[in-house]
Amino acid sequence: MADISKAKKADAGEFWDWFTSRKVQRIFITICFMLIPLVLLFTFTYLPFAKMVGFSFYKMKYIGERKFVGLKNYIKVFTEPEYFSTLKLSVFYMVGSLVQLVISLYLATVLSFKLKGGNVFKGFMFFPYLINGIAVGFIFKFFFTRGFVLDSVLTACGFQLDNLPYWLRDIKVNNWSLVGTSVWRYFGQNMVLFIGAIVSVDGELYEAAMLDGCNRFQQFMYIILPNIRTVLILNVILSITGSLSAFEPPYVITSGANGTATYFVKMHEVAHTSQKVGQASAMAVVLLLIIFLATFLQKFAFKYFVFRRAEDWDK
Amino acid sequence: MKKRIAAMVMATVMAFSVAGCSGETAPAGGVQNVDAGTGDGQSTTGSGDTASAGGYGAIKLGETGTDITTTIKFIHHKTDREQDGTIAGYIAEFNKMYPNITVETEGITDYAEDSLLRLQGGNWGDIMFIPAIDRAELPNYFEPWGSVEEMDNYINFAGEYATGGMTYGIGYMANAQGLLYNKKVFADAGVTNIPKTPDEFIAALQKIKDNTDAIPLYTNFAAGWTMGGGWDAYLGAITTGDPTWINQKFVHTAEPFKDNGDGTGAYALYKILYDATAQGLIEDDYTTTDWESCKGRINNGEIGCLVLGSWAIVQMKDAGPNPDDIAYMPFPITVNGKQYATAGPDYSYAVNKNSDADHKLAAQIFVKWMVEESGWCDFEGGYPVSKTAPTSFAFDGVEIVTNDPALEGEEDFLNEMNSESELNFNAGGDSRVQDIVVQAFNGTKTYDEIMQEWTEKWNDAQEELEIDVLY
Repeated sequence: MADISKAKKADAGEFWDWFTSRKVQRIFITICFMLIPLVLLFTFTYLPFAKMVGFSFYKMKYIGERKFVGLKNYIKVFTEPEYFSTLKLSVFYMVGSLVQLVISLYLATVLSFKLKGGNVFKGFMFFPYLINGIAVGFIFKFFFTRGFVLDSVLTACGFQLDNLPYWLRDIKVNNWSLVGTSVWRYFGQNMVLFIGAIVSVDGELYEAAMLDGCNRFQQFMYIILPNIRTVLILNVILSITGSLSAFEPPYVITSGANGTATYFVKMHEVAHTSQKVGQASAMAVVLLLIIFLATFLQKFAFKYFVFRRAEDWDK
Repeated sequence: MKKRIAAMVMATVMAFSVAGCSGETAPAGGVQNVDAGTGDGQSTTGSGDTASAGGYGAIKLGETGTDITTTIKFIHHKTDREQDGTIAGYIAEFNKMYPNITVETEGITDYAEDSLLRLQGGNWGDIMFIPAIDRAELPNYFEPWGSVEEMDNYINFAGEYATGGMTYGIGYMANAQGLLYNKKVFADAGVTNIPKTPDEFIAALQKIKDNTDAIPLYTNFAAGWTMGGGWDAYLGAITTGDPTWINQKFVHTAEPFKDNGDGTGAYALYKILYDATAQGLIEDDYTTTDWESCKGRINNGEIGCLVLGSWAIVQMKDAGPNPDDIAYMPFPITVNGKQYATAGPDYSYAVNKNSDADHKLAAQIFVKWMVEESGWCDFEGGYPVSKTAPTSFAFDGVEIVTNDPALEGEEDFLNEMNSESELNFNAGGDSRVQDIVVQAFNGTKTYDEIMQEWTEKWNDAQEELEIDVLY
């Protein structure tokens, strides 16, 4: 008995020595620090996501019994025209997001050089991003109402009211109107990110370029653009994935009616009005895969086409 | 140090909980104390017996219980009427007849939730509007008003809040399903008889368009709920004359949207919207309609009619200088020469079972006075609850019906069908009704094509859920 307890003590001592050694302590503390964020990440991101993937194989409501249906929900996502065709609307938002990137890149470049009242302009243009999305929706509902803000501004500019479209009623223009609100809201944010990147470009490069006889446009093409490409790629990817999951403008302004229901709006309706939780989960998983694919394609495109020359210089 | 922190935390928690408790119970406790002081002497007079045996029918206003001195408490959801003094005005009027009964009121903003909590807590007062509880639970909390049979003599909808043959709730007002319109606009347009069929209705709308500047039918398209909630509400007895249709037959019907040819049924209902849109009888830009401003516009005669329940009448009346122009008509569908309207009570008064005899009697007297004498129901533009009180609600020659509940064992069928077909009738199917307007306006689908699509979805859902097709 005594021997065993002694041995135990010796073991414990050895363990303690090992445990308090610098190497182990370092690992231990690292794990301890990581534990909380990892547990939070797991509980609130990966666990619900795994649950959702699980739901997508069931026919279920929020309450009541569930029935396993295999891939049926997924097949429906692709075969039911009402679901998949809504993805077409994402094209509008993608075009919009490209316009938005061009505008914000242009303004960012202009504003990052010395300019009178530059900060005021920055503030004004960033401001829409700070407004709550629901409020933006209400602002634009009135903005687009026949004879209200937009129409009266345009008639003041000399347009005839009769020649103007009904911004939200005409199925030909209403999606562009909604895209416009999204551009208005987010270009300021993109711009600020770009300014941040451009400011970090070494000022001596411009000087050297000036001495070499570069004009502003050449400076932009050969100095600014290569230097901010990480931020640029990030912004493009965020905008494209954002346009795949556009929700707020169509939901708040038109409630998805009149041919403006994006994939997300449809998913919301399937999940919350029709209470087809399994079906909506399948739609969400499909959207995620599409976003993965889009992101991958963009990375690929940037790597091998757009910044090829810049990469070559790096070598 | 640790202990001190723990102690401080405990102290804070306790301070909060004490504050919470006292905040919650002080008014109600106060009420209880008051009655303990003043009620005791009075309750020996024997009024206690009349209370328990009393009920609605036995109370004679102005005679029963005039000797009671007590304070009763009434909790309700009408915070707007609490604030604008309407309820206080009724109580002042009531006190002319019963000066010794003091009525305390409390308007609760989030009534649907809070009332359930109060009910569980028990100490909520003497009169409340019945929250969402099962009918079978009613006797556990509330005093019966009398048998349904007897109550039928005095009020409408006595069977609504009833269980075991006893009525437990009396509506403060009732809602009827019809159509809200502006009398003056109809008169100015030369519509002399209220339209009774879809054809007459469309003709009337056309007259409004031709002869006035008003928008004949304002759809409130953008709000969404006004479309799904507005139009679907007429399904059932109003469109078919059959109170069993919506909750019992609909799910078993093979072709619920087929053209009956006589302007009845679901087909005729939604066709009104399609035709009105196709013929330009709705607002110009339906995508930017605004719910708040439509109230003032119908009041001012800029709108001919709105598809809304009678609950909306008072809002439209209050929204402008012409409350007398706002009127309500039965929905323009006639089945076999008869028009129907569905109706049901709004929130309903019930008296606390656990109050003492004096409080119960005083509470019952007050409620009876409110129902019979106050005129509150009429003031709100409601369909009458009392069978004797004067009312301005004119639904002449219209049969008031209540849609029958689903058959036993089939309660979930309509929900399941709605979900499976994604048509969502009376369940937020706003986009389905909005789509009618879009298709009609752009001419992209004919009405029959839309109905055909609905039928297919409905039949697919029946097949999927294995629901028998019987009709």
